[in-house]
Amino acid sequence: MIQNFLYMDGYGLFVWASFSITLVSCAIVFYKTQKTLKKYEREFAKEINELSVEKRKSVVKNSKIASQVLSVHSKTF
Amino acid sequence: MFSFFSPTNIFDWIGKLISFINSIFFILLLVALSFALIFSPPDYLQGDSVRIMYVHVPSAWIGLASFTCIALLSIANFIFKTKNLIIITKSIAPLGLMFTCLAIVTGSLWGQPTWGTWWAWDARLTSMVILALFYTGYIVSHKLNLNEERANKISSLIAIIGSINIPIIKFSVDWWNTLHQPASIKLTGTSTIHSSMLMPLLLMFFVMFLYCALIFLMKYKTEIIRMKKKNLKRL
Repeated sequence: MIQNFLYMDGYGLFVWASFSITLVSCAIVFYKTQKTLKKYEREFAKEINELSVEKRKSVVKNSKIASQVLSVHSKTF
Repeated sequence: MFSFFSPTNIFDWIGKLISFINSIFFILLLVALSFALIFSPPDYLQGDSVRIMYVHVPSAWIGLASFTCIALLSIANFIFKTKNLIIITKSIAPLGLMFTCLAIVTGSLWGQPTWGTWWAWDARLTSMVILALFYTGYIVSHKLNLNEERANKISSLIAIIGSINIPIIKFSVDWWNTLHQPASIKLTGTSTIHSSMLMPLLLMFFVMFLYCALIFLMKYKTEIIRMKKKNLKRL
């Protein structure tokens, strides 16, 4: 039964190749996108942390985005 | 209206949406794949090769819809000059290119058992390749080390010119004699696809759409942080 399912009356190669290519491409793009996002978040949080105390306070106060990213990544530093 | 949707206002929502889609995505993917590969019936003529449709058709739809979106937003950007629109189009373009390429590759894999050839320079296939070239041009214009404003203008022009290709792709099967079959699913008029195949197809489309939303949101978030990072350096 499993053999029939994989063979698909001779079309298995084409069907499985189509699904595999699609799923693998999607997985690679997902992995790369997530990795890039994490990298930018980390770098951004690091750059804020490297600012002087006054500047950091003003950035966090004036930018919701900066404060959110910093709150997520503050444990890293 | 544009200020309401500004990156600062929606940044928090983006994170929540990403988490929500992540939590339901894999279950939906498993259900959709089960329907596409197991529960849907084989075609009376094409046999099991028809299952390729469940990845080929949604990929093509997403490829076309993404470019239409990019073209419309590029026109809006010419009028309103909003930076947010550029960030959105920049985040959509790589997804559109990937799905256009997937539509071409899976179409080729479907063509071999159905038509007896991997490739034919017929109107539908050629116009899809042209769409992939427009996507590439759009992405490359942003990657080149051009002045940002100039890059935006060039990419918007590419998107607007490329939009001419969208109706050509859609109606190529009606205007010319092609190997590619005419549309089976019609928004107006009766669809010629049986519900036992239409349901898994729509389910696969929904899952792929969710995937696109997930990647788009992550790319959009990355672009926002990149922009903020640049502003931080100016301090």
